Amino acid sequence: MDFVILSLVMLSIGIYGLLTKRHLLKVFISVELIATGATLNFVTLSSAMGKGLGEAFLILVFSTDTAVSAVILALLVIVSKKYGTSDISEIVKISEETGESEEEI
Amino acid sequence: MIFEILSIGLIVSACLALFLDEAVYSVGALAGTFLFTSLIYIANGAIYVAIFQFAVGVGTLAILFLSGEMLSDKPTKKTSAKSTVALMSAGVILSLPAFFLSVSGSAGAGSDITFGDALWNLRGIDVILQALVILMVALGIGIVLHQKRSGGK
Repeated sequence: MDFVILSLVMLSIGIYGLLTKRHLLKVFISVELIATGATLNFVTLSSAMGKGLGEAFLILVFSTDTAVSAVILALLVIVSKKYGTSDISEIVKISEETGESEEEI
Repeated sequence: MIFEILSIGLIVSACLALFLDEAVYSVGALAGTFLFTSLIYIANGAIYVAIFQFAVGVGTLAILFLSGEMLSDKPTKKTSAKSTVALMSAGVILSLPAFFLSVSGSAGAGSDITFGDALWNLRGIDVILQALVILMVALGIGIVLHQKRSGGK
């Protein structure tokens, strides 16, 4: 049983979802899967190499991940409310039709 | 054997979270992913990390359920039972390389620093600073949402 391979599989699933999915919530779930794969790799390596320092670093990783998740979710809700859809392609199409620049978005 | 079962559950729930059409079911499958991750941490002996993962997962999922309801388009197509079974089979197949492949490395070369020493003696300043950063982020989000509600820019 190798957890490095397992975390690599998780990373691959997350990257695939990030590249192919167009729903905002699915994109966010893909980001969460990538973060889970990274932390899984970190935990298993820190357990093998002396766990105290690795676990302490992971507290930092978790809190940062939570803050990033909160910001992303707030942005998703605002964008979804503004454009009335949560499909990325439709959001880009609407913003092009209304003539909004990327800075305004 | 327990690691293999947890790994299969982790990959299957990750696949379901990503490929199910209903947003609420996807969030439920993501809850399974967090749960299996916590169990793997416990099986590896990292109890503190498992507790943190569980707490963070519960908080994230509570917000995700709310935003999933808000973001989901109402007339969605439903995932059939056949495609759900296919997704679970794909998850089982994807978890097989972790059983048969391995990346060799030198284990046991680390130090014997305890969790408390590492958290407070080595990383004490970082822990306090990150608490301040999280507080600022929470305050910023609250201010932005309050401005949005009151109609200002």
